[in-house]
This record gives sequence, C-alpha cells and structure tokens, in this order.
Amino acid sequence: MPVIVMASPKGGVGKSTCAVLLASEFARMGADVTVLDCDPNKSLTRWASHGAPSGVTLKSDVGRSEIVPTIRSADGDGKIVIVDLEGVASQLVSRAISQADLVIVPMQPTALDAEIGSEALALVREEEEALGRSIRHAVVLTKTSAAVKSRVHKELEAQLNGAGIDVIEPSLVARAAFSELFAYGGDLTAMMNDPEMVTGGKVDKALANAQAFTEAVYERLK
Amino acid sequence: MSGSNRLAGLKARPKDTTVEEVRRVDEVGEARGFLDRTPRKKPGRKPSPRTYQLHPKVLPEVGEAIASEAEALGITQGQLIERMWSAYRG
Repeated sequence: MPVIVMASPKGGVGKSTCAVLLASEFARMGADVTVLDCDPNKSLTRWASHGAPSGVTLKSDVGRSEIVPTIRSADGDGKIVIVDLEGVASQLVSRAISQADLVIVPMQPTALDAEIGSEALALVREEEEALGRSIRHAVVLTKTSAAVKSRVHKELEAQLNGAGIDVIEPSLVARAAFSELFAYGGDLTAMMNDPEMVTGGKVDKALANAQAFTEAVYERLK
Repeated sequence: MSGSNRLAGLKARPKDTTVEEVRRVDEVGEARGFLDRTPRKKPGRKPSPRTYQLHPKVLPEVGEAIASEAEALGITQGQLIERMWSAYRG
C-alpha cells in the first residue's frame, strides 16, 4: 500500500494539517493508517495525544537513521503510511522522499512559499534521476480563501500548471476547524457530532473540503 | 467515499532500498542543501546514575596531598572524601 510524504523545507505551510486530514479520511474509509511524526515540533503527536481516530497508529520521533527502516516496517497489505516531515532542508526529508509513492508539497499562495516549496519539487526530480524511477509528486495550495481566489493564487496556479506540475484540486481552504483539530484531536466527523467541541468556523464545509482533497489524493494513488 | 474495497486498488511501487541507493539519495540531497541536521549529542562522558559528581576547588597543596593520600591508600579520591565525610560526621 502507498507511502504518502508531506514535504516542504518551509515551516507553517500545512504539512501536518494535510497529514491529519488524509490519515483521518483514509482511516474512515477502512484503511489501517500509520502516521510517522518526523517533525521536532511534534504537531501530530500533540494531535494524537488528544485521541487519534480509530485505525490510525502514530509513530513519533522518527529520525534520519530510522526513517527508511520505519517506513519499510510500517508498509504492508491494507496499510497506508503517511509521513509528516520537518520544515527544514534535511537528509531526513531527502530519504523520506526516496520511499514515497506520492510526495505532496503543501504551499500557501505566496511568492515565498512557492520559492521555498519549489526546492522540494526540484529535489524530487533529482532523486527520480538518481534512482532511475519516477516518484509521483503534486502541490496542494493551502490556507486559501473560501470566498475569492486571490491574484497571487491565480498566478501561482498558472505558473505551476505551466511548469507541468500536478496541482491537487481542491485546495485546502483556511478553516478554523482544521487548526482546531490539533486542540481537540480526533477527526472532523467527531468534531461535527460533538456539541462540546466549539469551533469558530463551519465544520461541515471543512469536512467536505477534506473529503474532496482525500478523494483527489486517492485518484493519484490508483 | 467509503469502503475498504476501494482501498484494495491502491498500489505501492517496489522500492529496493539498498545502502548504495540511500547514499545516492543523500548525495543528491546534500547538493541541494538538504543536509544531515540530526542534533549532535552533548560531548563527554555521561554522568553516572550511581555516583554524585562534586566539583570542589581546593588550594594546590591540599589537592596534591589528597591525591597522594588516595593513591597511597589504593582508593579513589572520591572514596577518600567519603571517608573524610564519615570522620567529620562521626
């Protein structure tokens, strides 16, 4: 089963959010999901400490020397491995990319995110060349506006499409529910059904966005 | 989207990860600035969980006398200090 790696040398672009949404949704579909938290900020470990959804297993503190054997041992029939990486340019990132069936590069629609995120895309291409095999990769735009597509957003999409880079549709909209998952743990479905969980946003819209994003990722793994 | 039957269709590509391949991946990454950023461990010997470390500074002649006495008795300086402490308390 596939290994999905979230990679960008820039921090704060939404790697952990993407990882949590994919892990939750694939687990809801019946997959046995292993999430590797390789980020020293331990965002996923904090999320899971409040309660991970059924079907999601978390492994924390996976470093450079353990990343390849840990991915290999977690991989198996009926299992999906999701790797959340640190937001720096490190060998841990390059090694994880080499084990991926899909590399997702989250990027906010800003010039700085695009410039730094493109380093990850270039690394994937160079690894493909060095290893003599293709590594599927795609960009997902994150923290986008629900109301309007900004000029920078449109320009960035056009540049990525022009460069032949796969851009996942839909983008992940800036939703309060996404960030509050890290405070409550669990998944968006549980958040929607639990009146005790208070969010400042629309959970149903966030859930629909997460499901459409997971569906788009699923299509790339077939 | 539901049902594990859909997930059965997902595929993983074979990845023969040899030591040579990992080395090549490291080289490619390093050339692009993706370096080994594993935090370095603190140098030096780790403190013993069994003993306690003192850091006393004494006058040179006292230090030399303690060192010589411990050597003559065939014990460590720590053991000599333990004896001195015992005599002081007793």
